Amino acid sequence: MTGRKKNRSIVEAVKGVSFEVASGERLAFIGPNGAGKSTSIKMLTGILHPTSGAASVLGLTPWEDRKALVREIGTLFGQRSLLWEELTPRAAYRMLAAIFGLSDADEARRVSELGEVLGATDLYDQPVRTLSLGQRMRCELTACMLHEPRILFLDEPTIGLDLLAKQRFREMLVTLNEESGTTVFLTSHDVADIEHVASRAIVVNHGEIIYDDSVSAMRTSLLATKRIEIGLERPGDHDALVALAGSGVTVANSSASLVRLDVDTSVRTIRDVLNEVLAAASAADLSVVDPPLEQVIADIYEAPV
Amino acid sequence: MIHARTVAQRAAAAGLSRIWSNTGTVVFTAAFYLMVTAVLAALWSAAAAVNDGHIVGYSASALIWYIAASEAATIALPQRLIEEIGQDVKGGAIEIEMLRPASVLLVRLSTQFGAMIARLSICAACGVVFSLIFAGRPGDFRALALAGPAVVLALVLSLVAQHLFAAISFWMRDATATWFLYQKLIFVLGGMLLPLEVLPQTMETIARWLPFSAMAYIPARLASGHFEPHLLLIQLGWIAAIGAAATITFNAGQRRLLEAVS
Repeated sequence: MTGRKKNRSIVEAVKGVSFEVASGERLAFIGPNGAGKSTSIKMLTGILHPTSGAASVLGLTPWEDRKALVREIGTLFGQRSLLWEELTPRAAYRMLAAIFGLSDADEARRVSELGEVLGATDLYDQPVRTLSLGQRMRCELTACMLHEPRILFLDEPTIGLDLLAKQRFREMLVTLNEESGTTVFLTSHDVADIEHVASRAIVVNHGEIIYDDSVSAMRTSLLATKRIEIGLERPGDHDALVALAGSGVTVANSSASLVRLDVDTSVRTIRDVLNEVLAAASAADLSVVDPPLEQVIADIYEAPV
Repeated sequence: MIHARTVAQRAAAAGLSRIWSNTGTVVFTAAFYLMVTAVLAALWSAAAAVNDGHIVGYSASALIWYIAASEAATIALPQRLIEEIGQDVKGGAIEIEMLRPASVLLVRLSTQFGAMIARLSICAACGVVFSLIFAGRPGDFRALALAGPAVVLALVLSLVAQHLFAAISFWMRDATATWFLYQKLIFVLGGMLLPLEVLPQTMETIARWLPFSAMAYIPARLASGHFEPHLLLIQLGWIAAIGAAATITFNAGQRRLLEAVS
């Protein structure tokens, strides 16, 4: 899929992207800035026409059947609000219900159901401007779920939220997915969103898919690297451990009490390196872990296409 | 059709409560309206006083009613709407609205209409009280009764015209200049600051053939005691023409968004 720029020169924003998403799946669609994520979401929701290629969302071609499709999908785009500052969320839901053609009874049922699931009922009658960002996002989520969409497109939904609010928002997404079977299509730069919400991840870069597998597989199958974390009994052992850096071993970071070594298991076995570590230092604590997902994703982004 | 009507009604209700739920907005609108009306009324009264109490056929009293109506038709309008729409095009808000099964223009117009009616009710109440105190009874009650619907039609016309002007943002990324141009056209050619009859003959003729006069001059002319019902038909004609142009242009702008790569 390609797009035109103002001067009519062709810019390939997205090319050769091909994937399927099963109903009820929770998919993270990620990539660095400018990778083609937003372009892809806009095409899938029908607000951007590709110059070539095909897509089918719920059996509809998004850019040809946008008006029919938007009744079946919910969208939450980062800092773009579906509510009005001066009004209460309930007043906004009244209008959104009319836009989506919900009867009064359906509107009341959905607002009540979602209020219960999201723990937001007490927020619906307060002016939006008085809500915290976390409270507001719960109300935004109600707004985009009001018409019982079959797919929920979320673009950076946790941006700006504090840690607890992010955690709660992620839990709510999983609950909504599990209770209503709504497919979740999520883009985020926050690795924790991907880790806690998505079951599958697609990574795009330079407009192409460079990874497509489960989030758990992302950690394991892709990694030739393990991290050894050594808590030191004697600060004097620090230098001896740092000196182990060399073929297949790099020092991720170190301090007088803790040294982290990354081991390329295609070059050295973990057993070999552990033996060297134990010979070189007196370890108060020792663990072998996968590197953080953030590092894994960064490695995927940086991999040559 | 029923769906569109419900959407329009609820959007208007939402717009109305946006204004009424904000005490600061209500107080500011009333204070601003009274201040501007008082200054212009004093100006025109002084001008009439040195001209045998009349200017181009308007008495000092009629001029106060004129200003009260023309200011109501102007101050009740959303301010800087053209710029706002430009920012919404640039910032992606319009795209988000396109993800709803309702006309973006219909929802926007209806919401703004509700807010406008709320502001109009504030201005109209202040304007009637102000005019009764400083100008006395209106010159013609039948004409004043027609000024009510005329001011609503003037606002509707202004609203659709602003959306037409704002639609330029779909092609031109900065619409600030468009807002300034629009505002000045209303001030002078719309008859907001002065009756069109005050303008030089050629300019008056041009102004009468432009839609801006239907946005301020017509309700003000009626409020000043001139019973001329045909003026409402002129307003309706302009609403139909500008409304159609705004719909076509706004839809073309949205199609342009669909084809552009962000």
